[in-house]
Amino acid sequence: MSAGRVRVSAGAGKPGAPTRGIALPGAPVDDVEAAYARALRRSQLRLALGTLFGFVVVVLVLYGALTLIPELDQIVWFGVPLSWLLHAFGFYPAIAGFAILYVRGANRNERRYRALREEDER
Amino acid sequence: MNAVLDLVAVALVVGATTLIGAYGLRISRTTSDFFVASRTVRPVWNASAISGEYLSAGTFLGLSGLVLLSGAEGFWFPIGYAAGYLLVLLFVAAPLRRSGAYTIPDFIEARLESRRARRVTSAACLLIGWLYIVPQLHGAGITLQVVADIPPWVGAVLVAVLVAAAAAAGGMRAITYVQAFQYWLKLTALLVPAVLIAFAVGGGARDIDPLVVFPAEAGPSGLDAYAAGSLLLALLLGTMGLPHVLVRFYTSPTGGSARRTTVLVIVMVSVFYAVSSVIGLLARIVAPDLARPGLADTVALVLPARVFPGFVGELLTALVVAGAFAAFLATSAGLTVSLAGVISQDVFSGSVRSFRLSALLVALVPLAIALLTQPAGLVASVGAVFVFAASALSPVLLLSIWWSRLTARGAVAGMVIGAVACGLAFLVHAAVGGVGMAAPLLAQPAAWTIPLATAVSVVVSLTDRSGAPVRAGAYLARLHTPGRS
Repeated sequence: MSAGRVRVSAGAGKPGAPTRGIALPGAPVDDVEAAYARALRRSQLRLALGTLFGFVVVVLVLYGALTLIPELDQIVWFGVPLSWLLHAFGFYPAIAGFAILYVRGANRNERRYRALREEDER
Repeated sequence: MNAVLDLVAVALVVGATTLIGAYGLRISRTTSDFFVASRTVRPVWNASAISGEYLSAGTFLGLSGLVLLSGAEGFWFPIGYAAGYLLVLLFVAAPLRRSGAYTIPDFIEARLESRRARRVTSAACLLIGWLYIVPQLHGAGITLQVVADIPPWVGAVLVAVLVAAAAAAGGMRAITYVQAFQYWLKLTALLVPAVLIAFAVGGGARDIDPLVVFPAEAGPSGLDAYAAGSLLLALLLGTMGLPHVLVRFYTSPTGGSARRTTVLVIVMVSVFYAVSSVIGLLARIVAPDLARPGLADTVALVLPARVFPGFVGELLTALVVAGAFAAFLATSAGLTVSLAGVISQDVFSGSVRSFRLSALLVALVPLAIALLTQPAGLVASVGAVFVFAASALSPVLLLSIWWSRLTARGAVAGMVIGAVACGLAFLVHAAVGGVGMAAPLLAQPAAWTIPLATAVSVVVSLTDRSGAPVRAGAYLARLHTPGRS
């Protein structure tokens, strides 16, 4: 376990609010920060599900093209039908592409969260 | 084939592994070094190591064998393996890095505050890991048998002993460098022969009819949609449930670097799979006579000598043999280290000494299984492990990262039901084969076992009177928020 900073705040909440266990190192302690953290988690989940949805759509479209367009079997490149080539190599660029898009989005969400938190502290 | 040259190649890989492992040993000193390389591994090294340990016998030998044997259906496996990392990236990479736990059972215990949930998770990890090491040992046996006519048990024993010794000696730190080296070795070992063979086949006067070598029935359009969909679901979700995959994220310095590492891994494994697919396509052109069950998995080893008779072919074969051994060693080493971590923390005191003892214990069980069973298709055996991991561990892992109301009881119920449903489906399928309408459901159970395990976890959690852990909200906040920078 890494030794993190534990922030202690007093008087921010309602007086006499029940103590809820011991704060974990780095865990948000006040309500505003908890709300920011929840918002970040939600936006990260939305981003992840959206990326997954986009990926599934691309896979289905490619799979549909492979099964429904018999002409792809007739076009031959380097001695191999185009349908085989597409199946063998066509999916990887989509996987890598969605991965890069997601990382950009996730970093953007975290930058926004940091900015909000810093603004709050000022 | 030149047996001496091939055995020299194996000896070189083993020698290099030992040397790099010994280098790692000099710099691993603390308990933290042993378990997670002290979290200081750079993304490129870490990504090479993750890719190195992920690319197993199943893909090195099995993929080209399956494409030869059953056609384009075989391509789904590497696509699923690569896309599995996309899901790791989307849902688990950064949060798990921030959890601060060493192993999956550690994470589950911290998140659900339950020893019982931890023990069930440990048992699932052990089972998955052992089942995954078995095909690696089988692959080593097949390889030595094909290239040097050595009885299969020798290869299995060799890999098991080496891996146990390396893991016991150096822990994760040593393994990280070994596996990074092995990724590049594996890629070279397939890329060089693939390029040379492709040029030889393309330039030679080989008279082939593409529509005979690549018939439409065995092509992408000849697939059963349910089987392909269910398999793909299992491969996508199975990756995150593999014990040796997750432990790697603990070696990234921050959540952000864990994400960058994962993107690099996706690119690295994709490049390898593309090259491996080329070998599979070439195998259909050059060696259609090997398209028989049991024989097909050897095609990557046999192909170079088919195309280049003489010394060049022998040299290329030796290179492929070296790469294949790197594959067996890397995957089983990664699994042994993570399983030894689980056993040493659950059964023993979690010290460096107990880690060493656990590494030996962990390698013995799959060796016994490998010696007692006959190798089936390598890809199919590895695929089955993914289905099991996706049914037993992945739903609970995802829920514990993203759903604050998951309870320990819900997690245990989900893991047990997922594991039992998947195990029963495989056993019934193996015993009676097809049972009319139920046959595809038993052969590819992921499409119903994963939703079942998820539903059980959710329903049991919601009806659990003791409720979610009080600190679940705070724990989730910690998983999903970046540290101050």
